[in-house]
Amino acid sequence: MAALRILLVDDELDFIEPLARRMERRGMQCVALQDGEKALALIQTERFNCVVLDVRMPGIDGIEVLRRIRRDHPDLPVVLLTGHASVELGVRGMQLGAFEYLLKPIDLDDLLDTVRRAADHALAGA
Amino acid sequence: MKPAPGDNPYSRLRSSMLVVLMLFGLGPLFAMGIAGFLANQQAVEAQTRSVLDSMVKNRKVTVELFLEEKLRELELAASLHPVAELSKRPVLEALRDRMRREGGGIVDLGLIDASGHHLAYVGPYDLVDQDYSQQPWFEQVRVLGRYESDVFLGFRRFPHMVMAVTLREAGKEYILRATIDTDLLSALVREGGLESGADVFVMNQAGEYQTRYNDAHRLMEKVDIGPMPVHSGVRQFETTRAGRRELVTTTWLRHDSWVLVARKPLPGWSSFLWAHPIVTRIFLIGLVIVPILSVLVARFRLKQIRTLEAEHAALYESVAATEKMATIGRLAATVAHEVNNPLAVIHAQVGLLRDSLADVPDFPLAQEFSSRLKKIESHIARGKQVTHRLLGFSRRMGPDIDRVDVKDALEEAVGFFEREALVSGVRIVRDYAPDLPTILTSLAQLQQVFVNIINNAVDAIGRDGEVRLSIHQRDNGVEIQISDNGPGIPPQNLDKIFKPFFSTKGGENDHSGLGLAICKATMENLGGSISVGSEPGKGTTFTLWLPRENTVESTATP
Repeated sequence: MAALRILLVDDELDFIEPLARRMERRGMQCVALQDGEKALALIQTERFNCVVLDVRMPGIDGIEVLRRIRRDHPDLPVVLLTGHASVELGVRGMQLGAFEYLLKPIDLDDLLDTVRRAADHALAGA
Repeated sequence: MKPAPGDNPYSRLRSSMLVVLMLFGLGPLFAMGIAGFLANQQAVEAQTRSVLDSMVKNRKVTVELFLEEKLRELELAASLHPVAELSKRPVLEALRDRMRREGGGIVDLGLIDASGHHLAYVGPYDLVDQDYSQQPWFEQVRVLGRYESDVFLGFRRFPHMVMAVTLREAGKEYILRATIDTDLLSALVREGGLESGADVFVMNQAGEYQTRYNDAHRLMEKVDIGPMPVHSGVRQFETTRAGRRELVTTTWLRHDSWVLVARKPLPGWSSFLWAHPIVTRIFLIGLVIVPILSVLVARFRLKQIRTLEAEHAALYESVAATEKMATIGRLAATVAHEVNNPLAVIHAQVGLLRDSLADVPDFPLAQEFSSRLKKIESHIARGKQVTHRLLGFSRRMGPDIDRVDVKDALEEAVGFFEREALVSGVRIVRDYAPDLPTILTSLAQLQQVFVNIINNAVDAIGRDGEVRLSIHQRDNGVEIQISDNGPGIPPQNLDKIFKPFFSTKGGENDHSGLGLAICKATMENLGGSISVGSEPGKGTTFTLWLPRENTVESTATP
């Protein structure tokens, strides 16, 4: 089975960089970006199995990125991972079609598990 | 109540209310009293005027008729009998007796010759030898032919009044003289009685009494109003005697030699009040009742105002408290967010370090590093627990209805007190029944109630005690009991603790006393109930019950 390609989007470099390295270590291919626009540009040209998306970001925020991904790439699953927990945000994310809504700090195994399920789900749906 | 600076506005308010109430109460009372008095006085005065007017008019007629009649009798006697007969004492006596019988008023009778000596005399006095030629009336009667005197002392040294007529026979002049009974005249003037306070008498030009009445009017004594000018008809005027206004009515009679005076005091306040006992009583009752009512009304209104103000203050306080709680909730969420992100970074970095450590199998400090990392991880977990709980709690402020595990809800609520309980030596004992059903209710509201009651329990214990939490099934619902072994609640306060604004906690903590009232309202809102049992010295138990299926409509807006 080919390695899963994961796109990580979070403005906090100190969070996303070690996370990407740890996930790669566990057999995934990760691209870490700190900007929503760049992420949207990248998924036009490259294929990913899953996007892990922060909600609060400078520039366009996670919810907007999520909306555009769902519009242009409905098959690409998105997992929201945020430190800003609120019911409204979670409900909104799920309504917009996020696969899951997770709260930082998260256990790596839980995240990997969620990402795998999201990718499986997308494959099964395709 | 002890006086406090805060009471000043109230006492000022009370005095101004009292003044206004008294004015409104007593003002009309006095106004009515004065109006009534004035109206009454006018009426009484008009009545007095007419009474006195008719009195002097008809007394004048009576007196004049009486005197005229006596004079005519005398003249008749003088013309019917020759002097020879009149000078005989038995004849004179018979004449006098007849005159007495017919009209009365004649005391004695005497026939006097031109030299002023009695030819004959019948009467109670010893006047036979008197010489009248020097008396003032003697000359007058000889000139005028008839004469009526004022009251004078005369020879007998006693006030009396005489009447005389002249008769001529054989060129000689004689005088028939009679003494008029002044008592009879006096009686005539007061005949028929007088209204109370009224007075009537006859006075001569010199201002002396001509009629007598007991000791009040003595003949020939000066009248206090003095001589008065002659006038025609009836005159009325007001004067003041002994400090009282009185109405005087006069008319002159007997060719202006006597004046008939009738007078009556005009009514003053006291006579008005005595004359109208019902009015007086109503006035006095008003005078007593109005101040009492004013005080009562002022006290009642003041109490209402105080209650209202206290309620306003409490409401304001509770609103402020709610606001404060919401602010604290927002602040807590913000802080949790801000702490949560660095925590996530640390967590990620530590994870990477752990991965890196695994890459170097023969790293000499691997053991040491691993145990240190484990410690960091455990503290991250602790921090995460706190931030997630805070986020979780603030997330659930809305009244969203959901399937709730009561045990979890209670545990989350008690989690807030675990540290405090540990510090103050309060043990938390759990007694949960197995296989508890989930219930359909609002987690956020239920947890608020739990937090409130556990907070009370921990407060009540203070130090070293036990809070017992138990959950059981009962009546197709779940019963939660939260007990403490604190000092308990006095029985007299037990039924009051769910009332708004009741607080047993001292002022320093500044509880609005709304906590348990809100708990009760919330429980009822959720279709459940709350009750309390307590034994002083042993502790307090709050018993909450919630139905499995909440029938109360959800107001959630997801």
